[in-house]
Amino acid sequence: MGFFSGLANEGYDRQYSDQQLARRIGSYLRPYTTTLLGIGGLLLATAITGAVTPIIVSRGVDMLGLQAEEMSIIVLFLIILGIGVINWGINWLRRRLTVRTLGNIELTLRTDAFKAAAEHDLSFYDEFSSGRIVSRITSDTKDFGNLVVLVTDLLSQIVQAIILGIVLFTIEWRLTLLLFSFLPVVFLTAFSFRRLARTVTRQGMRAMANVNAAIKETVSGIAVAKNFRQEASVYQEFAEANQQSYRVNVRRGIILALVFPTLNALEGIGTALMVYTGGSGAANAVVTAGAFYLFLQSMGRFFSPMLNLSAFWAQVQNGLSAAERVFALIDAEAAVTQNDNQPVPVLEGDIRFENVNFHYKREEAVLENFSLHIRPGENIALVGHTGAGKSSVAKLIARFYEFQDGRILVDGHDLRTLDLSAYRRQLGIVSQVPFLFSGTVLENIAYSQPEGVDRQAITALAHQIGDGEWLHTLPQGLDTEVGERGARLSMGQRQLVSLMRVLVQRPAIFILDEATASIDPFTEWQIQQALNLILKCSTSILIAHRLSTVKAADRIIVLEKGQIIEQGNHNGLLTQGGHYASLYNSFFRHQSLAYIDEARQMAQAEPAN
Amino acid sequence: MTSIPVLAEFTLPEHWRSDRRGPVRWVFSYLRRQWLLAVLMTIGAIGNAALAAAVPVLIGRAFEAITAAPPQVNLLSGLAFMIAGTQIVRGILRFGRNSGAELIAQRIERDVRSELYTSLLGKSMTFHSLQAVGDTMARATNDVREVNYMFSPGLNLVLGSFYFMLMPLILAPTYHPALMLVPGLFMLFYFLALWQYLKELDPITTEVRRAFGQLNTRLAEALDGIETVKGMAQEDNEVVRFGNNARRFRDAFIKQGDVEARFLPLLLLGLAEATSFLHAMLLYRQGLIGLGDVVGYFGLIQLFGFPTFTSLFAYSQVSLGIAGARRILELINRENNLDQNASGYTGPALGAVEFRKVSFAYNDGEPALENISFSIQPGQTVAIVGQTGSGKTSLVKLINRTYDAAPGQVLVDGCDVRGWNLETLRRSVSIIEQDVFLFSRSIAENIAFGKPGASQAEIEAAAKAAQAHEFITSFKDGYQTVIGDRGVTLSGGQRQRLALARAFLTDPRILILDDSTSSIDSATEDKIQRAIYAAARGRTTFLITHRLSQIRWADLIIVLRQGKIAAIGSHADLMQTSEAYRRIFSE
Repeated sequence: MGFFSGLANEGYDRQYSDQQLARRIGSYLRPYTTTLLGIGGLLLATAITGAVTPIIVSRGVDMLGLQAEEMSIIVLFLIILGIGVINWGINWLRRRLTVRTLGNIELTLRTDAFKAAAEHDLSFYDEFSSGRIVSRITSDTKDFGNLVVLVTDLLSQIVQAIILGIVLFTIEWRLTLLLFSFLPVVFLTAFSFRRLARTVTRQGMRAMANVNAAIKETVSGIAVAKNFRQEASVYQEFAEANQQSYRVNVRRGIILALVFPTLNALEGIGTALMVYTGGSGAANAVVTAGAFYLFLQSMGRFFSPMLNLSAFWAQVQNGLSAAERVFALIDAEAAVTQNDNQPVPVLEGDIRFENVNFHYKREEAVLENFSLHIRPGENIALVGHTGAGKSSVAKLIARFYEFQDGRILVDGHDLRTLDLSAYRRQLGIVSQVPFLFSGTVLENIAYSQPEGVDRQAITALAHQIGDGEWLHTLPQGLDTEVGERGARLSMGQRQLVSLMRVLVQRPAIFILDEATASIDPFTEWQIQQALNLILKCSTSILIAHRLSTVKAADRIIVLEKGQIIEQGNHNGLLTQGGHYASLYNSFFRHQSLAYIDEARQMAQAEPAN
Repeated sequence: MTSIPVLAEFTLPEHWRSDRRGPVRWVFSYLRRQWLLAVLMTIGAIGNAALAAAVPVLIGRAFEAITAAPPQVNLLSGLAFMIAGTQIVRGILRFGRNSGAELIAQRIERDVRSELYTSLLGKSMTFHSLQAVGDTMARATNDVREVNYMFSPGLNLVLGSFYFMLMPLILAPTYHPALMLVPGLFMLFYFLALWQYLKELDPITTEVRRAFGQLNTRLAEALDGIETVKGMAQEDNEVVRFGNNARRFRDAFIKQGDVEARFLPLLLLGLAEATSFLHAMLLYRQGLIGLGDVVGYFGLIQLFGFPTFTSLFAYSQVSLGIAGARRILELINRENNLDQNASGYTGPALGAVEFRKVSFAYNDGEPALENISFSIQPGQTVAIVGQTGSGKTSLVKLINRTYDAAPGQVLVDGCDVRGWNLETLRRSVSIIEQDVFLFSRSIAENIAFGKPGASQAEIEAAAKAAQAHEFITSFKDGYQTVIGDRGVTLSGGQRQRLALARAFLTDPRILILDDSTSSIDSATEDKIQRAIYAAARGRTTFLITHRLSQIRWADLIIVLRQGKIAAIGSHADLMQTSEAYRRIFSE
């Protein structure tokens, strides 16, 4: 039930005026104008046949009074039969058309939404959870599609009710008024039930979320409980949650079980009234028996649109706000804007920051008046405390974010003037949590070359790293399935694959946000080797967490509050005893061999506090 | 009812046992327990259908009355009262049916889940170590819910609509025996058509679900990895891929729509209305039935409308429920291969461990360990090093008999672990897994989990030894801080230290620590070093670790590579003998 999912507002949501919204929805419906008109026609036809059947039957009933010809009975039979078959045929055709139109509209809307989502900058994804965006692209588009079906279905029922109403009114207006007088009662009852159902469902869902969490926990905790032989204690917790879930559900179930029986009894009372008044009328020859029969037959056809109508506005509202959410996703404005689209030559990797100002949020400056020159082929390591601006420098080079002042030049070209896609093809980026897509290891390594890669070349490349041992530990080598998000590989293997991806790409500029996850020392050594291969041939910007990486850099840049406060190489900075030395003491010391040799004595000594 | 005796590590004192021989029997053994409600539901369903049939019959009588010469208007009020009365009673009966079904469904959901859970608690550690938690969760929530829906609305509507179909067949002959013809034929063709429809639809709905799943998964993946997508300038390719998936879903969706559009019972309903009209008219013309009978009969035929529209949904609900029940039962019945060995050696354990030519393979056949031999004294520390998949975890799980070695022997204190009383053995061996699981309870309760009733002083001492006291007291509620969804979130290192504290309280002779945390800063690393040192002191300790400092100082280092020992010995030995080992200690 999509009551709450995806309903929360996001920062990029906007209020569309009814006109805008209508125009927008119209633009998606327009290509299908003819089909939609056809569907409308078929709906009208269904409505007419639906209204006609009871009229025909009532004619038959009237004939019963007279001594009917056998011929006219057969004619009536053929008409009813024809209506039944035509009805089915129309229904068949209409549903086929509807499902196609719907499928296509949803497809267009989905593709548009995804295309827009893929265009948005990373700042957009920092701010908005990707799970919510997913639900906009899949379920909100679906809700919008359902809206179309809902409106057409209800329209057909209403048209049917109106036709019938007119016929009835011309036959006997007093009975018609009696019939109409039932409608508000049915509508109000259905409506208030719906509200009640919504309330209990909402309460039930909240309670169920708690219960589900408790069940989830007790199921996940079984292994621990067994380890400590505490089965009875977790069973107790489980049993309570289970019983509570039962209570909540029964309460909701019983209330919902009331709805139809009540409406049932109401309809029965209505029928009784109609039998009495209509019957008296027929007996006094105010109406014919056939007309009386028609009124009884028509009651149901008036009631069901009423039941649907009671839910209609809520559902329409749902569908419209779903549409609004999808459009907001499509229309969200890009923060990164290029002012030109110049072709990018083969880059050397000379990067220059000139008085760059950058902030994510207006009130917190990240980089202020920042200048830095990175020479082609140079490897620099960025170090500093969290929030010093290390990753911002890297992300600006990748042009993932928009900066506010100053210039960034790559090989002397203003970054804002380049064809972004062509530029990024010469960048190699490995993020802190390396991301793999489901598929094989080979497919992931070749991710940047969709036109395909040479398997031989990749195998050869893989063997340059630790003699290719990492490939041998994968069950099917290059053809191993990595699973969703790479889950079937270890962290270390994922890092190796993403480094291989960069090696294949041979980028001019390499950006690494080094992982902090713990990796076994053998794999770690292989990662180091892969890294060295990349560093040799690219300009590298390393956000370093490993001591070995910092040491491998040509230049270490120490950042604090968006400023460069020290730079130099490892040994030089360490002997200076400045900021780097203190950073080293708090972040890198424990990775040194000296620390490893002294760890035991340190642990044995009583802690200072 | 025969039941296979199942050994379990945990049972409830319960006399009732479900019939586990098959999903249908199993579900119905639960239904049988709710027989009183089932009877209520059946009475409600029959009464509901019968009283629904009363309306056309009474309307027929009303026609009889008003078309009589002279019209008998005085009968009308009686008939009207009867209609209103029967429909109010029908509402009550229908409510009885619905709430009976609802109660049955909810009780069965509760009881099924409870049986599943009890059975899970009774399963061996081997079972739990191999069974994915996500899968178990899906069965304990979604599949159990499907079993619920199978009764309400599933069986409720199946039963309800079945009696609706029966009514015209039973009541039509009261007008004229020949009038059974149309209802009889309708029922026959209706079930044939429905069967064919469901059979045709089934693979298509599966395809729709699969296509949607694929669309959704890839979409979520692409958006989660958006940095990679953009960094590699692959937006266009992702759009193409998304378009393909979305198109595949649309095609499946249309295919399903086409089958649904053809729904034949709807056509049958139209045919039944027309032929019943003809049939009744012809009988009337021959003077075999009266006018009211025609009206009543035609009204009865319209009762077929309800089953036509509801049952297609109800039947698939039932089949989904059976499928859910099958998955749950499969888990319950899965082999438990458990050997408590109650008469085995009961300790006390000292902590000497020896592996003698141990090999081990999981069910899929690939050997996880081959020919492992080593021996350690009580109190020593062993570091196990190797890449992911090299067999580190399998090795330690042979010690507490989560798995059994084959061939080869694992000995604790010189006695084969299979000769130990399992309970005693497990009490002596404590495992701290890679992802530490903590309950959403207070920190104090989590630490005391293995020793309920531990005093606050004991808990604090354990926390201090595990270097956890400091961060615990930094929380506002200290030891009473609740962990988890509704409480504080802890880092991996903090969770590990709580698990260590938990182990301190049970004081096992053998401690196995699967350590995969990493420290970003050196001060935290200092704490972890102290905590592990304290944990290892005075007991046999196996460390699966990436920490060079732990490896460096272990009494014995085992380097595993693809299930075999690649190198073994002390740090000094390995620096001499192993090139790979030397490499990781070079700067």
